[in-house]
Amino acid sequence: MTRSGHGGAIWLWLSAAALAVLSVVVVWPILTVLSGSFGSGGATGWAKVAADPKYATAIINTVILGAVVAATSTAIGVPLAYFTARFDFRGKALVSVLPLVTLVVPEVISAQTWIMLIGNNGFITRQLQAIGIQLPSFYGWPGLITVMTLTYYTYVYIGTLAAIRGFDHQLEEAARSLGTSPFESRLRVMLPVVLPAVLASGVLVFTLVAGNFATATILGSRVPLLSVLTYQAAVAEGGSDPIMQSTLATISIGLVMIMLFLQRWIVARGRFEIVQGRGAPPGRLGGLAGALTGLAAATIVALSLMPLASIVIGAFTAARGPVMRWGDWTLAHMERLFLIAPDPIINSLLYSASATVIGIVFSTLASYLIVKKRNLLTPVLDYLTALPLALSGTIIGIGLVLTFNTGFFAITGTASIIVLAYIVRRLPFGIRNASSTLYNVPNSIEEASISLGVPPLRSFVNVVLPLMVPAIAAAAVLTWTTTVAELSASIIVYSGGRETMPIQIYRLIDSNLMALASAHGLVLVTAILVPIIVATRVFRIDLFASRS
Amino acid sequence: MGIRIENLAVAYAGMRVIDGLSLDVEPGSFFTLLGPSGCGKTTLLRAIAGFIPAETGRVFFGGTDVTRLPAHLRDIGMVFQDYALFPDKTVFDNVAYGLRARKRPEDEIRKRVDAALERVGLEKFHARHPAALSGGQRQRVALVRALVIKPKVLLMDEPLSNLDAKMRVQVRETIITMQREVGITTVFVTHDQEEALAMSDRIGVMRSGKLEQVGTPADIYRNPATGYVADFVGGANLIDVEVDAISTGRVTARLAGNAVAAWAPASMNKGRAVLIARPEDIALAPANGMGVAARVVGRQFLGANTSYRLALADGRSLGVDLHGDRHDAYALNADVSLRFDPAKTLVLAS
Repeated sequence: MTRSGHGGAIWLWLSAAALAVLSVVVVWPILTVLSGSFGSGGATGWAKVAADPKYATAIINTVILGAVVAATSTAIGVPLAYFTARFDFRGKALVSVLPLVTLVVPEVISAQTWIMLIGNNGFITRQLQAIGIQLPSFYGWPGLITVMTLTYYTYVYIGTLAAIRGFDHQLEEAARSLGTSPFESRLRVMLPVVLPAVLASGVLVFTLVAGNFATATILGSRVPLLSVLTYQAAVAEGGSDPIMQSTLATISIGLVMIMLFLQRWIVARGRFEIVQGRGAPPGRLGGLAGALTGLAAATIVALSLMPLASIVIGAFTAARGPVMRWGDWTLAHMERLFLIAPDPIINSLLYSASATVIGIVFSTLASYLIVKKRNLLTPVLDYLTALPLALSGTIIGIGLVLTFNTGFFAITGTASIIVLAYIVRRLPFGIRNASSTLYNVPNSIEEASISLGVPPLRSFVNVVLPLMVPAIAAAAVLTWTTTVAELSASIIVYSGGRETMPIQIYRLIDSNLMALASAHGLVLVTAILVPIIVATRVFRIDLFASRS
Repeated sequence: MGIRIENLAVAYAGMRVIDGLSLDVEPGSFFTLLGPSGCGKTTLLRAIAGFIPAETGRVFFGGTDVTRLPAHLRDIGMVFQDYALFPDKTVFDNVAYGLRARKRPEDEIRKRVDAALERVGLEKFHARHPAALSGGQRQRVALVRALVIKPKVLLMDEPLSNLDAKMRVQVRETIITMQREVGITTVFVTHDQEEALAMSDRIGVMRSGKLEQVGTPADIYRNPATGYVADFVGGANLIDVEVDAISTGRVTARLAGNAVAAWAPASMNKGRAVLIARPEDIALAPANGMGVAARVVGRQFLGANTSYRLALADGRSLGVDLHGDRHDAYALNADVSLRFDPAKTLVLAS
């Protein structure tokens, strides 16, 4: 079906070209990973996995950790969303910064903060030791659960908030008019409608936990996890183990696929059409209840923002090796960063800028084809662009390295592969951003332009593209902020001399050089924040317009 | 410049929406495609515009075959249901868009756009964006934008359906006046029979991808070719009857044991047929043993008219409109006699 009628051939060719690109950079790496587990001759990866109980333990641990963090994130995110959507209380404005926190605080920095505070050598640990109190070790399960919960609860919060806001308040009133109490009405009418969104974001948290390797490695110590073993197989000293990393990556893909199918099933079951959702006017929470709610919300926000405070302090605190001399201020770390070893900063900015430009051009074009120029190929295009959602950064990294090691497109070891890793990881989100605006642009606009004598391709440029500009700008900022903080794929594909800021931070944390890591963290957060501030304050771009 | 469509077939979403349709639109005339949603009228219009390719058949503008010509080269003016104004461009830039595409000099564009906006009373709004206009103003901008390029044909896709009733009549008048003034061949799509009757030189009534009847508004209303056309244009009671006498255009039909006189096409045969009577062409009287016996089963006061719902003895029901001042002439469950006006009652083969 060609809605465009005549002149539709050009769109078919463009679809074919986009499909060819995706086959090389997405499909081929995935196939390489999946087929790699069987190796060539000798023991397959599966035999090794079956032989060593360490792997079974890691899989079980990953499932337990994912489930626990999903539960704790829900326990924090849902009440916070409910109170924010339905009530006014003191300090509510603070909560509105939360969606930004997920962008602004890279996970590696939140792990770092907690180590700086209550790690073996942490500030609080030391203070308490000085007065004779020995904190239980933060490493292992307690640290993993705490840090991951604080990193991921915002996803539940954002998802639930959107669902509650989209819920038609009149349904609740209808239930009350039919004779149920306000509380019972809420329980019986709102809960079933909001629940799918809550469960779906819980599943999302599970997949993020399963794919998280940075926090897992830094804090996991003696808890074997799938993501850590996969990473270790990929970067093992003395040569990586391609068969093993493929096998473990395949298991992760399987795990995430199961969760994504579960999510689809939940979302499909819970897709009730809410006709003209009218949000409820927020009620006023005063007195003790209001104060307590405000306090709880403020505590959560403070814990989320704490990493920012800690890196600012850490970045200017004198240190000798791993020992922080709290209270002694210095500019030495900053000096070192910018004057002596500025490579990670330059690399990060360069790679992210390239990935942003290429990624945005590609996703704008691809989503235009998917939404407006449907043809035989576009459903496949739609499917392939969403595929990276099922892959953790580690797996994308492994796939790219194994695939582009040799052959006509041997870019392993170059800067290009880092940029490519960024683009592939970000692809599904870029497409989603661009398509949500395109759905709101009526086809008739473009046809009006054509009817006035402007050829199809130029009509798109003249009348559709200008309408997409705000969404493209938002997508560009989001792509920039997420790629500049990207760690798990780039740490697999990078080679010596091409360290990015997150990689450098990770290595410094590993060497326990927290002050220098903080300094890098501060520069990284600045690189993230400045475009966000410029976009939202100067250009008044709504970064989250296309979410929910 | 006239439009000629020869044996056109169009598929949309894998379905044959239009199958072997032929049509001639006189140069300079206002032609309306009338039909319910899903009858293929918009698809036909989009095929004329060139947005949907023809599977078979041909489309001519004047003497030129445009079947294979892409839409942007057909030199059409098109007005869309949702206006399709460019939201990021001002009223002036919207209207100037087609002229700029034609690379006209900027001072000529200014003159022509200003004149066009003045023509529809929008000269003060040239710097506004579409969002700051009312529905009626937007539709006038859309009309002017299509006409300012002096297209060969003007195509309008339900341009009035998003306006409220009062505004609809106003914009309707603007459209007719401008069309007459410019003398441009126009194809207008609507599902509103009143609009079609009021505006058109000729109407084509469409049903499932085919033209059921083409004619002047009076022709379509007075001499409907089928029961479907009669019911869709103006509304009509369609009643199964038995024809038992024919004499040059006059027939006698048997309805519930009564003889009803009516007229019929020359090709009419005896036997089963459909009697077509508009609600306003049936007279009511208190039951008097003459005419067709019926009972009042419903009554709605509509201001100018009162609409009665009647049931025949065998249970079939039909509608009769009486002038408003007789709104309480018959009570519910009253027994009445129906009299069909022989000059306005038609019988067609079923």
